[in-house]
Amino acid sequence: MPPMALIYTSSLLLMLTILIYPLIMLLFCNPQEKNWAPLHVKMAVKTAFLISTVPLSLFLNSGMQTTTSSWTWMVTTTLDVTLGFKFDYYSIMFIPIALYVTWSILEFAMWYMHSDPNINRFFIYLLVFLVAMLILVTANNFFQLFIGWEGVGIMSFLLIGWWYGRTDANTAALQAVIYNRVGDIGLILSMAWMTANISSWDIQQAFILTKNLDMTLPLLGLILAATGKSAQFGLHPWLPAAMEGPTPVSALLHSSTMVVAGIFLLIRLSPLMENNQTALTLCLCLGALTTLFTATCALTQNDIKKIIAFSTSSQLGLMMVTIGLNQPQLAFLHICTHAFFKAMLFLCSGSVIHSLNDEQDIRKMGGLHHLTPVTSSCLTIGSLALTGTPFLAGFFSKDAILEALNTSHLNAWALTLTLIATSFTAIYSLRVIYFVTMGIPRFSSLTPINENNSAVINPLKRLAWGSILGGMLLILNTDLNKTPILTMPTELKLMALTVSIMGLLTAFELAKMTSKQMKMLPLKLPHHFTTTLGFFPSIFHRISPQLSLLMGYHITTRTVDQTWMEKIGPQMLSNTMTQISSSSNDIQQGLIKTYLILFLLTLILVVMVLTI
Amino acid sequence: MAGYLSHQQKVLRLYKKSLRHIESWCIFRDKYRFYACLLRQRFDEGREEKDMVKATMMLKAGEEEFWTNQHPQPYIFPDSPGGTSYERYECYKVPEWLLEHWHPSEKNQYPDYFSKRETWKKLREQSWDKEVAQLQAETPPGGPLTEALPPARQEGHLPPLWWHEVTRPRERPT
Repeated sequence: MPPMALIYTSSLLLMLTILIYPLIMLLFCNPQEKNWAPLHVKMAVKTAFLISTVPLSLFLNSGMQTTTSSWTWMVTTTLDVTLGFKFDYYSIMFIPIALYVTWSILEFAMWYMHSDPNINRFFIYLLVFLVAMLILVTANNFFQLFIGWEGVGIMSFLLIGWWYGRTDANTAALQAVIYNRVGDIGLILSMAWMTANISSWDIQQAFILTKNLDMTLPLLGLILAATGKSAQFGLHPWLPAAMEGPTPVSALLHSSTMVVAGIFLLIRLSPLMENNQTALTLCLCLGALTTLFTATCALTQNDIKKIIAFSTSSQLGLMMVTIGLNQPQLAFLHICTHAFFKAMLFLCSGSVIHSLNDEQDIRKMGGLHHLTPVTSSCLTIGSLALTGTPFLAGFFSKDAILEALNTSHLNAWALTLTLIATSFTAIYSLRVIYFVTMGIPRFSSLTPINENNSAVINPLKRLAWGSILGGMLLILNTDLNKTPILTMPTELKLMALTVSIMGLLTAFELAKMTSKQMKMLPLKLPHHFTTTLGFFPSIFHRISPQLSLLMGYHITTRTVDQTWMEKIGPQMLSNTMTQISSSSNDIQQGLIKTYLILFLLTLILVVMVLTI
Repeated sequence: MAGYLSHQQKVLRLYKKSLRHIESWCIFRDKYRFYACLLRQRFDEGREEKDMVKATMMLKAGEEEFWTNQHPQPYIFPDSPGGTSYERYECYKVPEWLLEHWHPSEKNQYPDYFSKRETWKKLREQSWDKEVAQLQAETPPGGPLTEALPPARQEGHLPPLWWHEVTRPRERPT
């Protein structure tokens, strides 16, 4: 193997070994210290991040990408599956970012979960999740990707249901698993199609062998998989419900890493989608619908974590729109910048929640700018990055996406929805900042609130640097495959900024109105629509279990019991026999003596005939 | 005690839940105080009504008005049922009978506690029959009407089912 390629694979192997080392310690050494896991896991992730900068710097220097196939898993006459790692632009850029964000979240979790008796298990779960995510990201074949895919799904279930004594947490964990399973049907469909049509699960071979095939069916399967994993409209309710888990779980899984796995899959397989207009249009429309719907739902939520969860879902919709525009690199750029500021928003909310003794309702927060200045500043920076403020991280990806959308001659409806969603993003971001950081406190002032712990401040500062500089660093080191359209009317160029500023001003006016003695109640129907999440959970979470249970009831009672007992079995026999006997009953009149004489006469006649 | 609420109880419950929902709608305290005073005025106007039929019709109208104007996401305290940290620590509440299953080496790490525990267990055996007798004597024939347990009635007796109360896990185990 050439020496440079050797460095890539060696560094990944070293990273994986360092990350798996705490798991091995747990299995074989069984350490006796009470809180051994937080420190060891955090050090492992930090070291892995520093090691991952080696392939990153090599890539930035020379642009070298590697695909490695090593150990053969399975060789049949038609299908070969090997252990394959792909170090292309996407995985080399994503791994350091994921490790950096995970390092910050783990350090924060050392403070947040310090009173939890099972803190070791918590950190081990997060580590297993991280390893599964890295497997997913570096996979070069569908089988390995599927291993990572299922791994992150299972760890999501275990971590959402961390406080398993809570009914809502168990329900939310089940919801996550079931919705993801529906998406997995799509992924397995695509894998089966690959096996049947091209006899390979290798991604490189898939690109080459499917050039002349009609790819609509497998692409629909992949889009279904992405809909499930990345909470697009239709399979989205699990994401806000997943906020039942502890805040570090929400920050790591449900904002930065796991939920982008579906989009990452579509990005990896974007060469398959380039020529299929159906798939691209489906992505565009689904993404536009998702981004507007979830942004609308976020407008009237009062739980700070739910607002940020819907914000995540909205940004995932935006990434799907980008894929629908045939711009996978921009979608990837948005994944990376989004990881920074969304994780930071969740950590800020976690800091606020913990300071206020588990209070998550923004109606009972306020004035935190004076009490927790670093947290509120980071909240502001994160929200500004989210809305696409010029030259922060989100701007470089979000603005590029909106410019591409504006100048493409595709669906104007999708464009309108996305722009409205962009203004809604500004509205709910300002709502969070207004009610959390501004004004006077609306909570009991007895709890001593402070930020004197470096385990809180350092992760926030690190992610703040990432939110400010990350976008610029990424865009400077990216060679875009598709030429961006740089000439457009000034109105279109400034459209995203205008829409966001209008949203911010509207939101500020509306927020100021809440403190005035004006009418107390808003318009009922729109408010109820957004608060009940578009009535989607109320309808679908009742209808589909009821239909399944009804079908089960009918199958057991009518199809099985009734059929075997009444239609085929003993009761059918008895009914038939009763009918036959009752119809043939009338023939017999009960005239015994007449029958006997007739019988005797016929017998004599027969004997006479026989003897003659 | 029958399972019915008196008129006063119903009115007070309506008043309290209306106030809580006004608090959910009016985020700022001064605005809430204004609308809370208006609500109090409305309740005080009908306070001296002596005609029960009319009073019941007013209560019914009030309940309907509450239903149409309620907040879809009312503020629920974190530790209340439906709140964000309700039952969060249930998974850490371990029943006390697990202490019997500790390994002797683990029990020897806390000799004072386990020796005291033996004393308490003997006390429990002695008082059990008396507790059962007291409960059988005091329970009405149709079954108990409330969940509240009676106190000890005689000198030297312990309250019935005291063991479960004394050995219950802490509210916040961690």
